[in-house]
Amino acid sequence: MNIFAAGGKLAVLAAYFKIILTYRGMLLIHGLRLLLLPMVLASAWLSIEKAPGNPYTDSDYLLYYLLVPLIMNLTDSRIVFKFSLAVKDGSLNRELLKPFPPLLGYLLESIANNTMQLLYLIPFSFAFWLFVRDRIVLAHLQPSLLIFFVAAILIGWLARLAVSGSIALLSFWIEDVTTLNLILNGGIWALLGGMIVPVATFPERIRYIAELLPYRYMLSFPIEIFSGRLSTPEIYQGFATALLWIIVFSVIMRIIWKCGLKTYTAYGG
Amino acid sequence: MPNMNERQQEYAIVTRALNREFRVRLKAEGLAASLRNFFAPQHKTVNAVNDLDMQIGAGEIVGFLGPNGAGKTTTLKMLSGLLVPTSGSIDVLGYTPFSRDHAFLRHISLVMGQKQNLWWDLPPVETFAIHRRIYGLTDQQYAERTKELIDMLEISDCLETQTRKLSLGQRMRCELAVSLLHQPKILFLDEPTIGLDILMQKKIRSFLLDYHRRFKPTILLTSHYMDDVAALAQRVIVIDRGNKVFDGYLSDLTHKLHPEKIVSVVLNNGNFICNPEEGCRLIHQDGQHYRLLVERNRVPEIAARLYATGNIADLTIEDPPLEDIIGQLFTAETRNS
Repeated sequence: MNIFAAGGKLAVLAAYFKIILTYRGMLLIHGLRLLLLPMVLASAWLSIEKAPGNPYTDSDYLLYYLLVPLIMNLTDSRIVFKFSLAVKDGSLNRELLKPFPPLLGYLLESIANNTMQLLYLIPFSFAFWLFVRDRIVLAHLQPSLLIFFVAAILIGWLARLAVSGSIALLSFWIEDVTTLNLILNGGIWALLGGMIVPVATFPERIRYIAELLPYRYMLSFPIEIFSGRLSTPEIYQGFATALLWIIVFSVIMRIIWKCGLKTYTAYGG
Repeated sequence: MPNMNERQQEYAIVTRALNREFRVRLKAEGLAASLRNFFAPQHKTVNAVNDLDMQIGAGEIVGFLGPNGAGKTTTLKMLSGLLVPTSGSIDVLGYTPFSRDHAFLRHISLVMGQKQNLWWDLPPVETFAIHRRIYGLTDQQYAERTKELIDMLEISDCLETQTRKLSLGQRMRCELAVSLLHQPKILFLDEPTIGLDILMQKKIRSFLLDYHRRFKPTILLTSHYMDDVAALAQRVIVIDRGNKVFDGYLSDLTHKLHPEKIVSVVLNNGNFICNPEEGCRLIHQDGQHYRLLVERNRVPEIAARLYATGNIADLTIEDPPLEDIIGQLFTAETRNS
């Protein structure tokens, strides 16, 4: 705790919690945003006839889309929106003038946002679970699986933060990175991360590609662990792939940050 | 050669041949120009700061003056580490600002508008608490300094209101308070009184003077309000189009550009003849009220003549308004000369 408290990190984290509590309505709207699409997709998958060879039953889909909003939230990051705005309106200046690592603030903000979002998501998810609990099988859950599940969420969050952070830092050169973010971190993430279709139901070649890219580890991977669909070697392999991506994107972020600051024009005040 | 400590005591800020260029995209008016610009963008390079040499001693208050676009804010941003110079060197308290060493950042503050330091969505008291943790102030330092700054700036009534809901004057005073909480050795003030009413401008000026008297920070100030400069700074550096055009005492600038003083006199009755051969020129007359432009070395003589008439209701002698003097510095004639 002392390391965390040093240099004002705890104070900054607490500040983000306080800001979120100030804007309760915004929190609810974000909560609804996270719930709506998975609910629609769940009902779509339950109502259509499954293709032959599809390993997912209705019960699997229910569990999958029960967990999607929670994982989406816990690995969420708004760094692209926040950082590009900070570059445009000059509020990045404030961060650069403090003896505090500027990018750490975005990480702390993400912790605060994702934690506070659970205030809405847990009751919603619990209510949803009560409604469908007879159709969901959880008998396979072991403590070790839950530990892997939590670790996978943490790694998924870091991977999303590193990928999003790299896109966000392009704001030093590109005035509007939100479209780029929609393509890379929205569209491709939704497709290959398993939001629209669970990765396990992909055709084999596409599944292979999805397992190589970082997106699966931001959403589908923790759910696959929770569902008991992965063997222990597969889980370790997944962790190794995700960690590799985190390292790659962290290095990319560092390079972009150094180059970007040299071109930063510090407009605005 | 002085060692680093001696040099630091001598100068808090040193720049040598400081340059900063910006590449600006150009686009002429019209759809055709937009299309041309889409396929072949045109740019030009603007020299915002050009070969700027300056030395500012520790504890000095220096007014940094110039018209819009002169390069004042760009210079402040380079000195505080926000911008990388295109060429040249900067030494602030022995640090290179752009390295953004935390030890350097702990010794400076930049006040630029009212959103530089305050957390917009939280009340100022929360910003103070965060600032305290980031800058590692002890309980005692925090308690003493907040009390002192709250009293000096009279902000006790607005500390618990969300910052975005404060008035401009309240925000500015809170912004100053948080900027000074860690007692910076160097304070960069960019237009600290902009948009404030006259009463609030006076309060801020008197606070800054009082603060400087007590804690002796080095202050570099830009302002379009010449009253700010006259009240706070003895020394001014004037830049225009990125070039330094004057560096010295404010009084020297006044003497150099305006070798006359303004004598205002109200006579009880009769009139006063002002003779250009005697270094005196009438610039305005309204009944018995005369405004005379008098050469500085002839002022005692003219004043004595006026007193000798025994007919004076009121007499004041003053320098021309600083706005006029600075304005004169930027006229084409002055530039050409």
